Amino acid sequence: MTRDPALLIALLIATLFVLIAVVYPLAATLVQAVSPEGARVLGDVLGRPVYHRIILNTLVMGLVVAAIGTAVGFLFAYVQVRLAAPAWLKRLIHLVALVPVVSPPFAVAIAIIVLFGRSGFITSQLLGLRPDIYGLPGLTLAMTLSFFTVAYLNLAGLMRGLDPALDEAATNLGASKWHVFRTVTLPLLVPGIAGSFLLLFVEAIADLSNPLVLGGNYTVLAARLYLAIVGEYDITTGAALSLVLLVPSVVLYFVQLWLASRASVVTVTGKPSGRLQLIADRRVVIPLISAALLITALVALIYLTILAGAFTVSLGANNAFTWRNFEFVLLGYGSKAMSDTTTMSMIATLVAGLLSMVIAFLVVRGKFPGRSALDLGTMLGIAVPGTIFGIGYLLAFNKPTTLLGVTLLPKLTGGAAILGGALAIVMVYVIRSAPAGLRAGVSALQQIDPAIEEASISIGADQAVTFRRITLPLIRPALLTAMIYAFARSMTTVSAILFLTTPQTRIMTQQILNETEAGRFGNAFAYVTVLIAIVLLVIGALFALIGNRSGAERDTVLAQPPSASQL
Amino acid sequence: MKRLSALIASTAVALAACAAPTTPAPSASQPTASPTQAPAASVAEPTKPPAAEPTTPPPTEVPAPKPEKLTVLCTPQEDWCQAMTKAFQDKFGIQTSYVRLSSGEALAKLRATKDNPEFSVWWGGPADTYIAAATEGLLEPYISPNAAQIPDAQKDPNGLWTGVYVGALGFCSNKNVLSQLGVEKPKSWEDLLNPKLKGQVAMAHPASSGTAYTAVWTQVARLGSVDAAFEYLNKLHQNILQYTKSGSAPGQMAGRGEVAVSVIFSHDCVKFADEGMDMLEVSFPEEGTGYEIGGVALIKGAPEPEAAKMWIDWVLTAEAQEIGPTVKSYQLPTNPNAKVSERSVKLSEVKLVDYNFTEAGKSRKEITKRFEDEITVAPK
Repeated sequence: MTRDPALLIALLIATLFVLIAVVYPLAATLVQAVSPEGARVLGDVLGRPVYHRIILNTLVMGLVVAAIGTAVGFLFAYVQVRLAAPAWLKRLIHLVALVPVVSPPFAVAIAIIVLFGRSGFITSQLLGLRPDIYGLPGLTLAMTLSFFTVAYLNLAGLMRGLDPALDEAATNLGASKWHVFRTVTLPLLVPGIAGSFLLLFVEAIADLSNPLVLGGNYTVLAARLYLAIVGEYDITTGAALSLVLLVPSVVLYFVQLWLASRASVVTVTGKPSGRLQLIADRRVVIPLISAALLITALVALIYLTILAGAFTVSLGANNAFTWRNFEFVLLGYGSKAMSDTTTMSMIATLVAGLLSMVIAFLVVRGKFPGRSALDLGTMLGIAVPGTIFGIGYLLAFNKPTTLLGVTLLPKLTGGAAILGGALAIVMVYVIRSAPAGLRAGVSALQQIDPAIEEASISIGADQAVTFRRITLPLIRPALLTAMIYAFARSMTTVSAILFLTTPQTRIMTQQILNETEAGRFGNAFAYVTVLIAIVLLVIGALFALIGNRSGAERDTVLAQPPSASQL
Repeated sequence: MKRLSALIASTAVALAACAAPTTPAPSASQPTASPTQAPAASVAEPTKPPAAEPTTPPPTEVPAPKPEKLTVLCTPQEDWCQAMTKAFQDKFGIQTSYVRLSSGEALAKLRATKDNPEFSVWWGGPADTYIAAATEGLLEPYISPNAAQIPDAQKDPNGLWTGVYVGALGFCSNKNVLSQLGVEKPKSWEDLLNPKLKGQVAMAHPASSGTAYTAVWTQVARLGSVDAAFEYLNKLHQNILQYTKSGSAPGQMAGRGEVAVSVIFSHDCVKFADEGMDMLEVSFPEEGTGYEIGGVALIKGAPEPEAAKMWIDWVLTAEAQEIGPTVKSYQLPTNPNAKVSERSVKLSEVKLVDYNFTEAGKSRKEITKRFEDEITVAPK
């Protein structure tokens, strides 16, 4: 099998790509962090009380967001899977819960200021309050609403996979619904809950956008790291802080993956047998659905605020209607950002979609040593917080890459680099989105009997033809997932590309950050609205082009964990 | 597996090899200008009339091979950047683009890209940061023929930077919020320490913002030492809601009623008030306030040096300096022939501190670091 040249070439390309785009920049960051200068800063970080405070802040925020976000996600999943409720209501809750996945960061944070700030519509004008949302409370609210979808989709997937026979057996033995929930359902979901918790924790501590907007004086590692680079170009401090952030993120991410793989063992016994008895007890249904609806309404309110803000001079301060924000984004200064970001994201989508399928094929079907290293290397793309890749790319690619005196790559980052630095940005987009595609591809391939491919080969087709004509069509839903995910993530990425944008490459998310930071909320809202519209349009187009067969698949498509910070 | 690990190993070796030189080498290349003795900086009155006769018309630029494009690193408000680049492009037919970065970010960007600059010219933002950049060898001296019209106090004699506008720091307050809190409009730096203003004051972070750095150095200038300044800043920290990234953002926060008082350049406050946040009002501290001389400079290793020089020549003209007020940017022009908007601050009515730009510029790195370590994370 490995003697097939096509397979060898694919293996070579995939390995090289992972080495260059993922491993090398990470290694560069590590080398910088443990250099004498970096070690000094690192000693500073670990030894000084001010940094202890920052680290503590980061951990507390991560724990709070992970706990609340997982709880909300669980509520949504439970309502969706276990409660008897009208289908349209469930559908509505589901759709609203998905919006944060396709929306850029900042969106929620700015809307929260407008709604719940000291002069917010709701807090100040309706309730006459002047609350302090800056700092931990605002961060918790914003991050929970941005990230809970991840937990919801994970847990909903797991709950659907639970064998209803267990519930039935317990009920038949006389256990009450509550007793069944506590002693049967919940224990089965523990690995999934723990996994979601860790995933949200990692997302929260890596998040940069919300602390920049809502942080107040609550300094967290990611924000400190950002300032070290953007305010001082102190790349050594950046690298040292990266290390502090990197270790827990990567460790917990892989623990989470391991938990997820254990959680899915539950379903290995076969397809769920029997039909799940939905809970219709009104004492359970009414409070839970009300809670879920309340949160759904909050999310809807936030996105409606964004939409309204996009048509307003300065929402809250001057509520006059205007088209100027859209003029700015669609026709004016913002139009280049719009076209640049969309073009680069589309390229990244194609590359990431195909690459992740090839890697999945190699990992599942390949019979070469180091398969798991290739898998792991690809997964690092998402396990590592985006900011760290930003620094790593600066360190690695701000000059030509040479190996033993031979120039392998020209300078990739900065405006003077090839393609105005666009190549580095596309590479980051690809490595950030390939992991989700890889997981989708792996699970799709594991369900396909290799005999089908072997048949193709035995009647004379080579590996390349077999992959293109047999395998790829069979894993089409996974490819669709990979591409949808890649596009949505690329369009909404912030932290990984903030240090890599150049005068030639304008990125929408960065423009949103600028507009938000400068307080021009109208432009920021218009950017967000346009960005969401583009993402939805392209997702629609991908569905039409690649096609999906049933409505059920749409859920599996979006049920892929969009993992690590939605940046 | 063996092949793979060999590949990883060799990459790691290469990494170690090329990671070493990333630590910025001290710039030995600063032949002509020594910023140490550069500007006649410690100026008390930035608007004193120029020595040169202001009547000479600006020399017209007719470059032989016409440059095609120009990339400007722009620090003032976004709409001013847009208006300036558009006017320049229309006048000279040079395709002009810009990226807006706050002063500290701009300096960081120049550091990051010094081997291969992306930008040719840097326009706007306090001269302190220009001096810091010149000290690090990031700027190229250029004495524009039009610089003769600019007062000596507002430019570097060696042409490392030239002043394009002047602005004074002030308090930008939301009068509705102040009256809710029962606090008078602040009239002194001490007023900002009022316990009733806890969490009601905003300023930017001096590492990223030139405005905030001006505010920090103002404390040094008025209190006499860096230590005294930090003592004050530490007290002020008790009342600060958030240190924003860009200098004028606190004014927007005040305008939206998120805070009562912001420390920003007074012209930005007037701009926001004119743009609809009419509850904003400016006041100045009676102990004296800091001010900025906004600069323009040629970037060392500029990819488009000819166009950059044309830009510098042009922004020093009265014509270019009158564009600001059309987009509600009311900084005072440095060209004495430029018409002064009546919305601009009247420096004769404001007490200014003795602001030493050279000292401020050279201490920048040290002070921003100290601020980061001592102030931003101080307990409340």
